[in-house]
Amino acid sequence: MTPLALAWRATRQYRARAVLAVVGVAVIGALLFDMLLLSRGLLVSFGRLLSAEGFDIRIVATQGFARIGIPESAALVEAVRRMPGVADTAAIAVEAGDAGVGAAHGHVTLIGRSRASASPWRIVRGADLVDSAPGAGCEAVVDGRFPSQFHADVGGSVRVLGLPGGASALPPIDCRIVGVADFGFSASGERTVAMTMDALQRALGTTHGADAQVILIASAAGADPNAIVRAVGRLRPDVRAYSNAEVVEQFNRNGFAYFRQISTVLSTLTTVFAFLLVATLLTVSVNQRLGEIAALRAVGIARHRIAAMLFWESALLVGGGALAAVPLGAALAVGLDRLLRQMPGLPDGLHFFVFERRALVVHLLVFGVTAAASAAYPAWLAARLPIAETLRREVVG
Amino acid sequence: MLAPSPGILISRQLAARAHLQVGDEVTLATEPQGGRTATFRVTGVYEPTPDPMRFTAERIEARLHLPDLVALAADGSDPGDAESIGRINVALTDPADTHAFAADLASSVPTVVVRPASDFRESDVFAVIDRFHVAISIVTVVGATAFLLALMLIRAEERRETVGVMRLIGISQRSLLSSVAIEGCAIAIVGAAFGIALALASERAINHYFQTRYDTALVFIRVTAAIAVRAVVVAAPLGVGAGIAASWTLLRRNVLSLFRR
Amino acid sequence: MIVAVRNASRVFPMAAAPVVALRDVTLSVDAGEYVAITGPSGCGKSTLLHLIGCVDTPTSGTVLFEGRDVAALGESARSRIRLTRIGFVFQRFFLLPMLTAAENIELPQAEAGVAAADRRARTRTLLDYVGLADRADHLPSQLSGGEMQRVAVARALANRPALLVADEPTGELDEATGEHIADVFDRVHADGTAILLVTHNPTLAARASRRLTMKSGAIV
Repeated sequence: MTPLALAWRATRQYRARAVLAVVGVAVIGALLFDMLLLSRGLLVSFGRLLSAEGFDIRIVATQGFARIGIPESAALVEAVRRMPGVADTAAIAVEAGDAGVGAAHGHVTLIGRSRASASPWRIVRGADLVDSAPGAGCEAVVDGRFPSQFHADVGGSVRVLGLPGGASALPPIDCRIVGVADFGFSASGERTVAMTMDALQRALGTTHGADAQVILIASAAGADPNAIVRAVGRLRPDVRAYSNAEVVEQFNRNGFAYFRQISTVLSTLTTVFAFLLVATLLTVSVNQRLGEIAALRAVGIARHRIAAMLFWESALLVGGGALAAVPLGAALAVGLDRLLRQMPGLPDGLHFFVFERRALVVHLLVFGVTAAASAAYPAWLAARLPIAETLRREVVG
Repeated sequence: MLAPSPGILISRQLAARAHLQVGDEVTLATEPQGGRTATFRVTGVYEPTPDPMRFTAERIEARLHLPDLVALAADGSDPGDAESIGRINVALTDPADTHAFAADLASSVPTVVVRPASDFRESDVFAVIDRFHVAISIVTVVGATAFLLALMLIRAEERRETVGVMRLIGISQRSLLSSVAIEGCAIAIVGAAFGIALALASERAINHYFQTRYDTALVFIRVTAAIAVRAVVVAAPLGVGAGIAASWTLLRRNVLSLFRR
Repeated sequence: MIVAVRNASRVFPMAAAPVVALRDVTLSVDAGEYVAITGPSGCGKSTLLHLIGCVDTPTSGTVLFEGRDVAALGESARSRIRLTRIGFVFQRFFLLPMLTAAENIELPQAEAGVAAADRRARTRTLLDYVGLADRADHLPSQLSGGEMQRVAVARALANRPALLVADEPTGELDEATGEHIADVFDRVHADGTAILLVTHNPTLAARASRRLTMKSGAIV
């Protein structure tokens, strides 16, 4: 009978405690798995949101991402368009505004987009904005919750008023809703109305070309985004160009530190916790079976086989729990993600817990090591057991 | 004779980074290329109030008198810019009037947001993080309870014959159950106390580590009396429950079967 | 000669004072001999058994098993001797509770590297030998005390040992059952296996061909 078979039999023999140990490891393991998902979840989700926009470089006025107009943005856009490796550009301005449909009105975020082949949002219904001549009728693309809140859908009309600085005496402009889109970075409580830059300027009451706050660049297939970033830097040293990877890295350094820290702390704690608990359980279990183990040694069963049996017992308990922890952790992650997304101002598409294969591999590795480490002391106890003294004590006891 | 430069306060981190001390003359500019500058004299170094939302940020900052800041940063082409500020902090003579004052001001000036500093909304970032921590602690307690039950089962099994003897000589099941409950409760309370002691010991180490790492005075972990009480209140019934659950079959089984090997 | 004990002593260091469990014992057991050791509790019977069974080593003196100095061997070598040359029977049976009767008997054979088919055949033979052929698939919890001890004897004989060592084999059994176990030992002895047993049971001791009495750690 192999050590694994003996371990399996021993586990079945003490079924209740084995089930409880597996449940305990599964619950703690679910937490560990979730912390591994959390450790890079925000970054991965943020990166995906950036990539989903279809643009891989962005230009802003200053270090950081404050909404400040880029001086002479129109000229910069044209210059960037002519750069090798650039497939598309879009200049974006974002302002606070007010939208109204009939009696319903409310605060909205207004996004103005310059001429571009693609938009940094995904049309789910209707059509995208069309680059029309200045002064043409206003077209608008709204976010997914806009129709239900304002009772206006594709084909309907919405009054838009720009509110730079918070108040305006300007008359609103009427826009025809041509599409409903998924705006990756819009918060769930935020309504968004996108229009051409020309329409936004009219809503803001500006007569001259407004400066864009962000210029998005899509590099051509095979082009190096970093080369374009460097080229922009040479062309306009007064602005800042970032590839998506650099944006993610900036947020990694500044914005996500808390979750990275707590993920590290909790991952460590849960691993130590699991190790301590399984080691304690196995040690107490071995102490309960000392007579049995001494008898096995007395009849000639080698120490390494008894140790192997204990390692397999640990592996069965920890391994069973670790495997059960994955679906349990996935379910828990959904709940925790929903909880954390109650934070104000978070983009709708941003998630804290994102599955990566790497997390699963680390999870299984950690528990593999934990299983081995947990069995080390009980195996040592069993191997070093003074046979005669133990047999004597068992008889007397 | 030139007028003395206006005074500013700089953060400890800025003083260290730029090797400045009180009395030094510094030039502040609003543009990276050095446009729009003004000269000031450092009159003091302050420790920035720790901001949990920005604990990773290096607090390279300075505090100016408002007119000096406006003079330095206002857009000369916008006459309204010199009159605009971002925030007004108000200290009331009677803090009990906070909410009434806020309500009055909000209705009088609808274009501003008036908010008592002590307000704690359910959607606040820290309220959400608090709920997150509670959720994690619940999960941890559930996992620990499973292990606790397993260990108590082993203990109960070890004492099978002892319990059998006690029942044989007439000790009632009720008395045995009470002793098991008291033992479980005692183990749980001692365990909770040990956990609290461990938390207190690690509190200092963790705070020291993160305060050093991020150069901040922010306190990251604080073990309060309420938390300690909560730990004991959660642990005690778990210990009692685990002890009773683990011993239940021993107390209900036929007494002679407890001696069967 | 299977076992030769020469002036062996065993001292246990205790907190209060060292305990001399065995003092200057000399003893030998020949192949095929049936030796019973009796004596009051605490006289060192089990300690002597443990030295001979290669479970323990003497503090002084020598214990030779088939000519090899037990104390000079490492634990692996002693373990091998226990597996292949000695069969142990304990007072408390010590069967593995999660294995059936047959599996308990197969366990030391598997450890010795016996092929599966040979193991099963040997196990069937041994179960017949001890009269438990129909209980092969029963767990220890489903057997009586006497049946468990018979399985333990079968386990001890699994690898055809030169010496069967038994420590109070009837200590946990009633008189009638103890007699059955004694009958089994008689058969084992008749088949040529040497037996060294420690017992309080005078009836069992009377079946041995040589009886030794111990007192205060010495053979009297």
